[in-house]
Order: sequence, then C-alpha cells, then structure tokens
Amino acid sequence: MRSLALLFLFAALVAWAANAPRKAFPFDYEQHDFPSGLRLITIPTDYPNVVALYIVVQAGSRNEIEPGKSGFAHLFEHMMFRGTRKYPTAKYEAALKEAGAASNAYTSDDHTAYHITFSKEDLERMLEMEADRFRNLEYSQDVFKTESLAVLGEYNKNSAAPTRKLYEVLRDTVFDRHTYKHTTMGFLKDIQDMPNQFDYSRLFFRRYYRPEYTTIIVAGDVDKNNVRSLVQKYWGGWEPGDYRAEIPAEPAPTGPRSNEVKWATPTLPWVVVSFRGPAYSDAEKDQAAMDLISFLGFSESSELYQKLVIREQKVDVLEGDNSDHVDPYLFIVWTRVKKEQDVDPVRDDILATLDGFRKSPVSSERLEQVKNHLRYRFALSMDNSESIASMLARYVALRRTPETINRVFDLYAQVTPEDVQRVANKYFAESGRTIVTLKGGKAQ
Amino acid sequence: MRYLALLLLILGASNMNAEMKAVARPSPSPLVTFRIVFLTGAASDPAGKPGAASLTAAMLAQGGTRDMSYQQILDAMFPMATSVTSQVDKEMTVFSAATHVDNLEAFYKIFRPMLLEPGWRQEDFTRLRDDAVNFLRVSLRDNNDEELGKEVLYNEIYAGHRYGWHNAGTVASLQKMTVADLQTFYRENYVNSRLVLGIAGGYPPEFLERVKKDFSTLPGGKPAKVEIPLPKVSRGIHVTMIEKDTRSVAYSLGFPVDVKRGHPDFPALLVAQAYFGQHRTSGGRLYERMRQLRGLNYGDYAYIEYFPRGMFQFEPDPNLARASQIFQIWIRPVEPPTAHFALRLALYEYDKLLREGLSKESFERYRSFLTKYVNLLTKTKPAELGYAIDSLYYGIPDYSAYIKNALARLTVDDVNRAVRKHLRSDSLHILVVARNCEELKKKLLSGEPSAMTYNSPKPNEVLDEDKVIESWKIDLKPENVRIIPVDQIFE
Repeated sequence: MRSLALLFLFAALVAWAANAPRKAFPFDYEQHDFPSGLRLITIPTDYPNVVALYIVVQAGSRNEIEPGKSGFAHLFEHMMFRGTRKYPTAKYEAALKEAGAASNAYTSDDHTAYHITFSKEDLERMLEMEADRFRNLEYSQDVFKTESLAVLGEYNKNSAAPTRKLYEVLRDTVFDRHTYKHTTMGFLKDIQDMPNQFDYSRLFFRRYYRPEYTTIIVAGDVDKNNVRSLVQKYWGGWEPGDYRAEIPAEPAPTGPRSNEVKWATPTLPWVVVSFRGPAYSDAEKDQAAMDLISFLGFSESSELYQKLVIREQKVDVLEGDNSDHVDPYLFIVWTRVKKEQDVDPVRDDILATLDGFRKSPVSSERLEQVKNHLRYRFALSMDNSESIASMLARYVALRRTPETINRVFDLYAQVTPEDVQRVANKYFAESGRTIVTLKGGKAQ
Repeated sequence: MRYLALLLLILGASNMNAEMKAVARPSPSPLVTFRIVFLTGAASDPAGKPGAASLTAAMLAQGGTRDMSYQQILDAMFPMATSVTSQVDKEMTVFSAATHVDNLEAFYKIFRPMLLEPGWRQEDFTRLRDDAVNFLRVSLRDNNDEELGKEVLYNEIYAGHRYGWHNAGTVASLQKMTVADLQTFYRENYVNSRLVLGIAGGYPPEFLERVKKDFSTLPGGKPAKVEIPLPKVSRGIHVTMIEKDTRSVAYSLGFPVDVKRGHPDFPALLVAQAYFGQHRTSGGRLYERMRQLRGLNYGDYAYIEYFPRGMFQFEPDPNLARASQIFQIWIRPVEPPTAHFALRLALYEYDKLLREGLSKESFERYRSFLTKYVNLLTKTKPAELGYAIDSLYYGIPDYSAYIKNALARLTVDDVNRAVRKHLRSDSLHILVVARNCEELKKKLLSGEPSAMTYNSPKPNEVLDEDKVIESWKIDLKPENVRIIPVDQIFE
C-alpha cells in the first residue's frame, strides 16, 4: 500500500515537473472546517514515522494597534508556553520530552505559529496538549513579569546585529500609520514596559486565540480520518470570538524618504533601497510580478549581482526581498558594501536597475529562467514533512488554504514582460521610495 | 518505465572501490542529494597558513572550473534553482547540493568539474578571501557576540593544538595566502583515500558507479594522517574577556572531554547533556532555573559536541566529526547588572549536576526523549547522508540504531558515573563578551556578593537558593583572567 502511494506521489511530482497538470503544491491533502471556524489541513506524506504539527494563528505584530504595545504578539507567543491547570509548564515540558518532540514557535508580522515535530505514536497526546493550551491558557502576573524579561533577553541577543537596527529604522521611516511601522520584536521602550501589561496580555488572548483565527496543519505519517476525529475530540466546541482589529491603512506615499543609522562599533556599511509595494494576492498579478523582479534584478544570476559581487567586487551581500504580507508592504533591496566610498555608487546602481525595469520590458527568455528557478526552488524546499508544513504555514497565514500556492504559481506562469514593466512603473516611483544607510563606527 | 526502475531501487549503503568510500541512500524521490566529504579540514592547515582548508573549499564551491567562470556556473545553475555549498571543520570538508532529478545530468555536468577540475582564478580568490576576512572581522567579531564567544572559547581551550585557530583562519594568514598555497593544499588533501561520496534520492541505478569512476581520477595517495592529540587541560578556572561595546554580557564555558561517539560513555553523557540543557528547547535544567524561573535571559544550554551556528538552527549540522570534543555551557546574553549572579548560578547548577547527578525520573524522561528525538535528526536526506558519513568516521553503526540500542541498556547509575568521571571540576574556561570588562573582572575576583532582585515576587525556595548563589565562590586567580580588545580577535 505504501509503495503504491509512493508511486503516485512520485508520479505526481514528475508530472508537475514535466509541465503536465502543474500543481505547485503536489500533495493530496484534506482541508476541513469545523463549525467553530477552526480549520484543519492534513497532508499525509511518505516520510516515515515523523509528524509535523503547525498551528497558525492569524495574528502577529500587524495586530498591535494600540500605542505602546509593539512586540506584544511575540510576547504572547512566549506566554503560550506558561501552562494550564491540566498541564502546568513543568508537566507540559515533561510530556514533550517523553515524546522526544522538537517544539518551538515564532511570530511574524501577520501570524504566529506553534510547531512540534514528533513520532507518529504521540499524535493524540500532542493534539490534546496543544488544544488544552489554546483553550485554557492560565498564568499569573508574576510569571508574566518574569517571561517579559526573557523577551528583553531575546532583544539583547539580537542587538549585536546591525541588520536588526537597520530593519527597525527602515520600517519606522517608511510607515506613518500602519502597524508595519514597528518590527515583530517591537520598540525597546515597549519591551521594557512589557512587565506592566499583564491585563493587555489577557485581552490579546481573548481576542485572537480563537478558532476563526486558527488553522491546524498536520503533515507526515498520518491517516486523514484519524487526524480529523482527534482534532474533533480535543478541539471541538472551542468557542469562537467576534473581535476584528481595525488595522490603520497607510496613506499613499509622499516620499521620497531617507534615513541613516550610525552604528557605534565597526562594521561594513549597508545600503537598503525600498519601495512601497502591493499586498499578497493570489488573484492579481502585481505581487507575483514583483516577486519575479526581485529575482530578475538581484539574484545571483542577475546582471547587477554579476557586476557588483563577481566582477567589481564592491559588495558582498546583494538581495532582493519582496516578502508576502496581508497588507501592502515593501519591495526591498539589501546590500552590504565593502568600502564606504562605494555606498553612493552602489545605491545608484540599484536605482538604475529598478529604473531599467520601468523603461523597457525584460526578455521573455530571461523571464522563463526566473519562473523555472521559482518552480524548482519550491520543489526542492519540500524534502520532509516538517519543511512541507513549515512552508505551508506561511501561505496559510495569508489565505488559509494550500490552494493559494497553486494559484500564485499559476500567476507566475502568466506574468509577461509587459506585466513586469507595468508593475515597475506602478511601484518604483520616487514617491514610494525610502533609502536607509548604515555606517559603522571606528574601533575603540 | 524509468520511474518504475527508480522505484525498484537498489543498493543499500554501498561498497567501495579500492580506497574511496560511498554512502548511498536511493529512494523514490524526485530530488537527488549530494554530500561529498573529504576527510580533511582546518586541522590540516599547513604551518603558518590557517584558513587554507577553508579557502580551498570555497574556491571549489564558489569559484570557476577550468572551463567555466563562476559567473557562467551561476547562470547555468540558476534555472535549476541549485547551488553548491561547502562546510569546513577541523577534520571534514563537505560539499553539498541538491537537484531535481529532471536536471541531474545538467547539474552533474557542472558539479563534477567544480570538485575535480577547479579553475583557480585570481579574481575568484580575491573575492573569496575578502569574504573570509569579512566573515571573521564583521559577521563574527562585530555583529554576533554569541558565536564570537563560542568560537573564541574553542580557540582558547585548544591553544597550541591543531584545533587552535578558527576554521576560516586568521586575518594575517588570509592576507598572506596565495592561489598556489590552495593548489598545494588541494593536491595533498583532496585524495581518494580521504573521500566519502554521499548520494541520496531518485538517481538512476547506474549513476553512482559513474560518479565513483569520475572521482577515482583523484590521486589515490595516502597522505600522512593528521594525529589529533588530546588538548592540554589547564587546571583551575580561566577567564577570557572580550572587551566590546555591546548592550549585554554573553558567556560560553567549557573544557575538553575525552568522550566522542563510539566511546562507551557517549550515550550516558548525551542523556546528561539533554537533561542539563538540550539545545534550544525549554525544560532543560539550566533553562528552567535561569530563564523560566528567574527571567535572566533568552536561554541556557549544554553540549558535548561542537555545534556552530546554534543561534540560527535547532539541529546541529552533520559532518563536524572531531577526534576531540569539549563539554560546553552556553549562557545567552544577560543584562549587565545580573551578569555576576548569572555566572554564579550557572556554576552552582553545574556543581549540583556533578554532586547529585540525575534523578531516576529525570533519567527516564531524557532517555525517552533521546530515543525518539534521534529520529528527527535524520529527517532530511542531507542529514541522513551526513549522519551515515559521520558514523563511518567514528566507526559506529547507523547513528539512530547506535543511540537507541545504547539507551535501552543504560541505567541512571551509568549516567551519573559518566558525569562524575568525565565532567570536570578542576578545569574550566569561561569566555565573556562584554563592555567594561575591568569592572566585571574586579567583581569576579573580589568574591563580593551579587544580590539578585526581581520585578515580581518569588517563592521562598528561590530566594533561599539565591542567598547561596549570590555568594557562590568562584575560585579565580588574577593571573588567570585575560581581557582582549575585540579588534585583536582573529587578527
């Protein structure tokens, strides 16, 4: 039975690669909605023994709408490890250890994900424990205050990296109203005030840790029916909420803007060029075309990379970054420059490259290369159950279904050189531009 | 038909020709994974040339071949979405890549000459040497206090030993290096007798033989095996402080242990390490006492094997096999006012581990943990290959079977005996990255109490324990404390 399933999976992947019925997400999954609004996506795979469980909550730092509360979604992620009546922290940790589970969580702009990878025989226990903390989390004010210090510790351990600061300043410079103004980590002053925000933490839980915000992904050596009945058993009857955050819309850009970070210690300079971009969409071509531009213009095979990294050797990092977001976000080019005197010429080269996309269409052949790259890159990223679940979690945060992956890959296929030129003209206008540079200090 | 043939595969772990070894893991996957390992690395850097092994590997993985420039290689690989990466440790150099089976032929046509017919172009050398210098000076030294602390801890413990420099070398050595040095290193070390070919996934049956034949063109010579002596153990506590303008205080502590995979006490120490501080998981003893209970920092962990880049990943990279390992404690950055107390607490907990060992209950829990967790370590094809190659190096069976079988026979007494036997109380190196090192040095030497205060009430049990910890004696002599300005590190 297994080898037959393997045969089908393999045939599906090969067929996809050979352009037959092309499904970027090739797995035979089940999507099930419970009456509470909770959604379950089960993906049986042929990687033996192991199960990856991802629980995605569609609330992240984007939801931090009140002033002084930046970093709160992330703090709340920490609190989710602080126990329930049935499973106080020590008991929860002991159960995870006995199951040999690898467990962790992360928070981003638009979502928070809790993930556990474990052996298949522990599936029921894990679903039970996770349901318990999502429904019955309970912690004291003292524990809350202590945990908020661990978040400060996290800020501290990141603080030696200049890119963190650069990112913080970039967002603060670009956005005036939208909550993307702050990073997921939050502003230091808000982190330092977290110990005083116990009541808000309870409010945050009541607002967002609800079935209508939550999607459970189970990938691995599992049976769909069994997973569905276990989720029904432990998560059934979870009470929905009715809170909807009013996320402030960012007004139209009035740029250009710029900023400079003075880093106290020696480091190589950075130049970051950004433009206000579109939101994620699996229906409109704009974001898909912007994705393609990030590779056309700035990947290892791009003309600019060949010039700046390989031939002239002026920079050692060059990356285009067009990440998917629920609301309109940013197209960013990151570069680390080897000599301070090259900062301005490198910035101008980046701007000229982006301007090039506005002036003339790219060649169809080059566009096809990038599309191939994206398809193979995606296929190569799914080499085990955990990576399948982890990759899916990012899309589920946006549209709650694996089908969005197929739709967005269909959009990539449809993008033409004219589309590329059109979106370049739409988004790479000076008014939406923000440039931030970072320069290091002298040795002590 | 072709796919059916692929499905019906084939060889298990494979035999080897006269000298090279091969580890094959065919499977009905649309991906093919390569892990080509040479049993050479920084421990084989010639005298006065630290960084030669690392830069040689970079020239192969990120440089041109005889017939193709690096630019042409990037262009050719781009539509396949693949690339070649290298990792160099003391005794192993690994080249990794994965490709979709659709592109196997096209990929291998480039990959083979990258390793067998390197181009040795001066422009590649200049770029990669810049990268190495910037890695040491900027990425590690200036931008990452934690990895900096860990790497310098290793350099200090292995001072005067073949492991005594960073894998990437030193800035001075890199600046003197020439392409000819790397060609010599390649000629002497990239030989058949040091080669392990690792391949997994849906490659055609005859493909492995073809790869073996291609790589058999490397010289078969038997280079002098690098003898790895045990490092000298410095008695007492030694503290190295790196003076740096930074927000917080990062610590790494350790000492050499004579235990590696294959040693009868390795599984026992693995249980003790998991109990004391399993990497990046909550619930370990150090984590629980330092972070969870007291909110001192973001996490606290323990290791019995080299685990670089731990701040970025949850599982260790394979193919970092070493003849000599250290026991290490990683205390993530703490706020300066709590730095003295945090160090005392870590040492107090370490002392408690030595004196009391694990309870029966903890032993059972962590044995159960490791018995299952070991499955997760090889969940990807690159990891599966990597662990199999490491097992060849250590002369042990399949890692997962080795650990599970040993754990099944283990008792709590075995673990506690191994803790007392191998975890030292007479030698410890402490590495600190901080601002105002002189001030911390004075505190550490004075032995003055370091009272702890909290932002919320704590149980009496904790407050009573704090009374003991705040005066915990650190037996440190002034001559064993060294402060180094950060800009001198790795120079």
